[in-house]
Amino acid sequence: MHSILAVDDSASMRQMVSFTLRNAGFDVVEAVDGEDAFDKARQRPFDLVLTDQNMPRLDGISLTRRLRETDNFKTTPILILTTESSEQMKQAGRSAGATGWLVKPFNPAKLIEVIRKVVR
Amino acid sequence: MELRPVSMDRPLPLQAAADLQDNLLMVANDLDRLQTLLADACDGLLCGFCVTTGELRALPAADGPAGDAVARAISRLSDSVIALQFQDMATQLIAHTQQRLRHCTDRIAHDAMADDGDDDYLVTEAPSRPNPVTQDEMDAGSVDLF
Repeated sequence: MHSILAVDDSASMRQMVSFTLRNAGFDVVEAVDGEDAFDKARQRPFDLVLTDQNMPRLDGISLTRRLRETDNFKTTPILILTTESSEQMKQAGRSAGATGWLVKPFNPAKLIEVIRKVVR
Repeated sequence: MELRPVSMDRPLPLQAAADLQDNLLMVANDLDRLQTLLADACDGLLCGFCVTTGELRALPAADGPAGDAVARAISRLSDSVIALQFQDMATQLIAHTQQRLRHCTDRIAHDAMADDGDDDYLVTEAPSRPNPVTQDEMDAGSVDLF
């Protein structure tokens, strides 16, 4: 079973993302912001990271940058799921090493399709 | 409502500044309540959504119309996840608006008291970027793979 680290400071979003992923057969670990996610990522590897962008303490792009500097996450797919849709932000995510940029609200079927496409 | 011209080259009278501040703070308080109402509504909707979906998935597999009806119900519930994300987006909109309101309130107070020589009055910074939520409706967003 593939494991996914789902990061969002909104409890309702975490609940919906986790619900969607678990129903599709993924093992999900939740994190409440980028710092929490980074702590959890240091404890064990994940097959994919799905993170929000705008969060307190550490945002999604900064988290991506930090994860890419660690051995376990050099090639792990990292998807940023955010309300932000500007090209500038997308390019910042890409430069940080993100695998993809998904704009909220997400469509559950489409999210699963994208994850299955990028997860190894 | 009577409209009166305001001269822009005169400082705002202290009483008018206080009134404006009060009004802006009331708006900020109303937004706080709106935020709480939305969070409460979303919790209720999510709870109903998760329990109902779980119960439908737990039903014994059935052939024919009953099985089809259950499959359709699960599919429609799954589609409603898109709309259920309203609270996250509304929260971001409200937080951004509240920061802008706080900036306006502080700025009014700062400018109105400029003549008092009190330079220590702290002004909340205005948001440095436009509101991140630009969506007008709850349609599913775009997907870009790099």
